[in-house]
Amino acid sequence: MGSVRAELMKLVRRPAAWLLLAVALVLALTFTYLIPYASYAGGTAGVRTVGGLPAMLPARLVGNSLGGLPVFLGALVLILGVLVVGGEYGWATWKTVLSQGPSRIRVYGAKLAVLAVACLVTVLAVFAAGAGASALIAAAESAPADWPSAGDLAQGVAAGWLIALMWAALGGLLAITLRSVALPIGLGLVWLLAVQNLLAGIAAPLLSWVATAQKGLPGPNAGSLVAALGAADTPGVERLVGAGQATIVLVGYLVGFAILGGAILRRRDVL
Amino acid sequence: MTAAIEVRDLVVERGKRRVLNSISTTVPRGSVTGLLGPSGSGKTTLMRAIVGVQIVRSGSVLVLGQPAGAAALRRKVGYLTQAPSVYDDLTVRENARYFAALYGYGATAADAAIRDVGLADAAGQLVASLSGGQRSRASLACALLGEPELLILDEPTVGQDPVLRAELWDRFHALAAAGTTLLVSSHVMDEAGRCDRLILIREGAIIADDSPADVRAAAGTTDLEEAFLRLIQEREEAVATPGDRAGSTAVANERQTP
Repeated sequence: MGSVRAELMKLVRRPAAWLLLAVALVLALTFTYLIPYASYAGGTAGVRTVGGLPAMLPARLVGNSLGGLPVFLGALVLILGVLVVGGEYGWATWKTVLSQGPSRIRVYGAKLAVLAVACLVTVLAVFAAGAGASALIAAAESAPADWPSAGDLAQGVAAGWLIALMWAALGGLLAITLRSVALPIGLGLVWLLAVQNLLAGIAAPLLSWVATAQKGLPGPNAGSLVAALGAADTPGVERLVGAGQATIVLVGYLVGFAILGGAILRRRDVL
Repeated sequence: MTAAIEVRDLVVERGKRRVLNSISTTVPRGSVTGLLGPSGSGKTTLMRAIVGVQIVRSGSVLVLGQPAGAAALRRKVGYLTQAPSVYDDLTVRENARYFAALYGYGATAADAAIRDVGLADAAGQLVASLSGGQRSRASLACALLGEPELLILDEPTVGQDPVLRAELWDRFHALAAAGTTLLVSSHVMDEAGRCDRLILIREGAIIADDSPADVRAAAGTTDLEEAFLRLIQEREEAVATPGDRAGSTAVANERQTP
C-alpha cells in the first residue's frame, strides 16, 4: 500500500494530470453538448444537430459519456499512462525509485493501480459533467429528464473504465518499451487518431482481411462496446462486434499490456 | 565485524572496453571512504556494481555481508546518482515525501532529510526552479531517507559552494559517527583530505587504497593531489619496467594488474 499511496500522492500533485482531466471534460462537453446544442438552439434554419434535442437529454447520458473513449478520451488517458510510467525515464528517477525502495513489480503494480484510480475518476467526471450539461439542457428546453437506471449507469461506468484503463496500460507499455515520454506519446497518438481511422475508413473497405483483422484491434472493440451501450455513430464508434466479444477482447488487451509492460520492466536494465 | 563492502577481483566490461580491471578493495563500516579519480576512471561503474545495478563480467561484490543487489539490501543501501534523480515538476518537499512514502517512511523523515541537506528554505520550491547545486541536494535528501546503513554518493558535492560543501562533509562524518558507512566519489582532490580512507582509481585500476596520511607518506608529499600524480607516475613507470615494481607499490593494490 505504501507504493500505491506514494504514486497517488505524486499524481495528484502533478499539474499535467489535472490539465489532462480538464481537457477531457472540456472536449467531452464541447463535442457532446455545447456544439450540438448551439446548433440546435441557434443553427441555420433547416440545419439541426444529428439526433436533435433527444440526443442531449439525460436519457442518453451513458452513450454520450462513452462516445469519446475510443478516440479523443482514449488519447488523453494514453498520454496519462505514458506520463505515470514513462515519467521515471524523463526525470531519470527509475534508478532512485528502484535501487532503494520496493521491487520493480511492486512499483509497476502501484503505477497501474494509480492509473486505474485516475481512469475511474476521469470516467466518473465525464459522466458527472455530462449529467450536469444534459440536466441544464433539459431544464432550458422544458424537456423530460429521464435518467438512465442505476444498472445502466454502473454498466456504462464499468465499460468506460475498462476502455480507459486499457488505453492507459498501452501508454505505460509504450513508455517502458521505448524508455521515454515523447516518442511513446507520439506513436500512441498516431495509432489512436490516425492509423485506426485509416484502417477503418480506407483499408477495411478495400481489403476483406483488414476488415476481419480490425475486429481484433483495441480501437474497433472499444468503439463496438460503446456503440452497444448507446454511443452515437461518431468517428471510432461503430458496432463491428458484439458487446460480449468486445469486452473480452478489451480485457485481454488490458491484461496483455499490463503483463508485457511488467515483464519488460523487470528484465531490462533501467539505469 | 565484516567490512561494509568487499570487492574481489571485479571485472566490468562495456562493449569491448574493460572499465574495471580486476580490482579488489574493502570499505570498513562506519567510515567515510573517498573514491577519487579523474572522470572516466571507473568510479561510477564501481558504485553501480556495489549498488547491484551493474552487470559484471567476473569477481564478487559483498555488501553488508550479502551479494550486491540482494533484495535484503534494498532498505539498507542509499544511492545518490551523479545526475540529480528527482522530479522537476514537484517541489522539494513533494519529492522527499514521495520517496519517503515509497520507502515506508512518513512526512517527518522527509522534512528531516530536507533540513539535513540545507534545503529547508527551498522546500516549497519546484525542483525545476532550483540551481544545479540545489537540485543535487534535493536528490541527496531523497537518498538520505530512511537512514540506510550504507550510503553510496556519486559526486554529491559537485556544484556546491565551499560553505555548503563543508556542511555536507560535516554531515557525512556525523552519519559515519552514528554508524553509517559512506562511499563518496569525487574527482576533486581537495576533498580527499576529508575522508577517513581513500581509494584512488585510474583507468579502471586502484592505484592507492589507504588513509589520506598513509597515501601522503607513501608518495612522499603532504599534498594529496601531488601524491595522486606521483602514484600515477610510479605506476606508469612500473608498468614500463615490470622488474622494478617492488619499490613503487607501497600503497597500490597489487591485485589490480592482471
